[in-house]
Amino acid sequence: MQQTPILKIPTLTWPALAVALVVSAVHPLQANPSPDSVDLAAFPAQSIDEVIVPVPSEVFAVLDKLGSPNWRAEIRESLGQQSGNRAQVALLLGTVIAEGFVAVEAEDPEKVKEIGRRVLTLSKAINVEKAVLERSKSITEKAEVKEWDAVRREFDGALQDVKGAMQELGDEDLAQLVSVGGWIRGTSVLTSIIRKNYTPDAAELLNQPALLDFFSKKLDTLSNKRLAADTQVVRVRKLLASLRPLIEAPEGYAVPLENVQRIHKLTNDLVNQISTREA
Amino acid sequence: MKRWILSACFALCAMTAARAYVDDALSFAYEAANPYVKRGFTVREDAWGGDLGVKDQQAVQAQLFRGNEYWFCLGTDVKNAVLSVAVYDAKGQLATAETLKPGRLTAVRVVPARTGTYYAIVTVLKSPEERTGWALVYAYK
Repeated sequence: MQQTPILKIPTLTWPALAVALVVSAVHPLQANPSPDSVDLAAFPAQSIDEVIVPVPSEVFAVLDKLGSPNWRAEIRESLGQQSGNRAQVALLLGTVIAEGFVAVEAEDPEKVKEIGRRVLTLSKAINVEKAVLERSKSITEKAEVKEWDAVRREFDGALQDVKGAMQELGDEDLAQLVSVGGWIRGTSVLTSIIRKNYTPDAAELLNQPALLDFFSKKLDTLSNKRLAADTQVVRVRKLLASLRPLIEAPEGYAVPLENVQRIHKLTNDLVNQISTREA
Repeated sequence: MKRWILSACFALCAMTAARAYVDDALSFAYEAANPYVKRGFTVREDAWGGDLGVKDQQAVQAQLFRGNEYWFCLGTDVKNAVLSVAVYDAKGQLATAETLKPGRLTAVRVVPARTGTYYAIVTVLKSPEERTGWALVYAYK
């Protein structure tokens, strides 16, 4: 198993354990005496790490269990055009990697291979080609023999490797844009599928307010001021703000169909904007 | 200037030490995850970690999806250290379906009742060291 660098190395402590824990009972079946409930609000902010962004495979693993949508209908013909703008390339790279998952679901080896090559081209444009070279080769080889689970893992790995390489180059901001680009395209596909056969179970997958807050916070605090003022980045920030009220469902309710449709339109429009050279 | 250099050196040493703590712990976290790989779970290639004093806690937020099943696996390289991990939903309710005994390696299984934000809380229950490095990975299927 390949080990990627640890993402977070918090050294902060929380000595007032007893104060924050609200012990209601000890679970009778557990060897571990963890309390049945805790007061999360009493946790000092520095003792709570930022949200772990799920890898796309986690979402697709659920979708696999919800039925067999027509994935081929979800594949985009064009993988977009890159400009000389690094923000646009990073966002586009995220959308293309997300497209890889759709092509895997559709079990389309030619499209998967095309996407593998495109990932390499886009990575080259932002100087992280080396990080994904092996992944790209592996995607092609495994798509050739239709090892779809393995291809999925390679796309997950490609996303992590690209982000890791950017972080090593000190391009943390750009790495965030790759994540956000992938999330936007993933959400666009997810909502497209859900709206065609709406069920509350499927719509519940959209309940991701913490993730949305995480992305918004990251984009609001980009250290590169030029990147922060980039037209595409500004568009993404606006999109995230407009999605926030649509994506959170009250306890016991799923995101309603009209919200799913609205989320789809907003994310799809932005993917199209990211995918144009004039972006 | 000398003071600045000294401070920078201290900071660098502290960061290196923290990193070493986690790197050492990581192989133990992966070891804790091994049995679940054999059961068809996929282990994420990222990990989270740090170092904590005895009785200290750290929470890690995660977006989990109903329909998936997860194992959060925790490890440390500190001999005789006892660590625990528990996962709570956004309301602070325990969400673990199965919990292994606290120890140098431990794990909890989560079958989310709802898609949303969850908190994996790591606690150092006992340790012979002042600071105990830990690493957390998770597997899903």
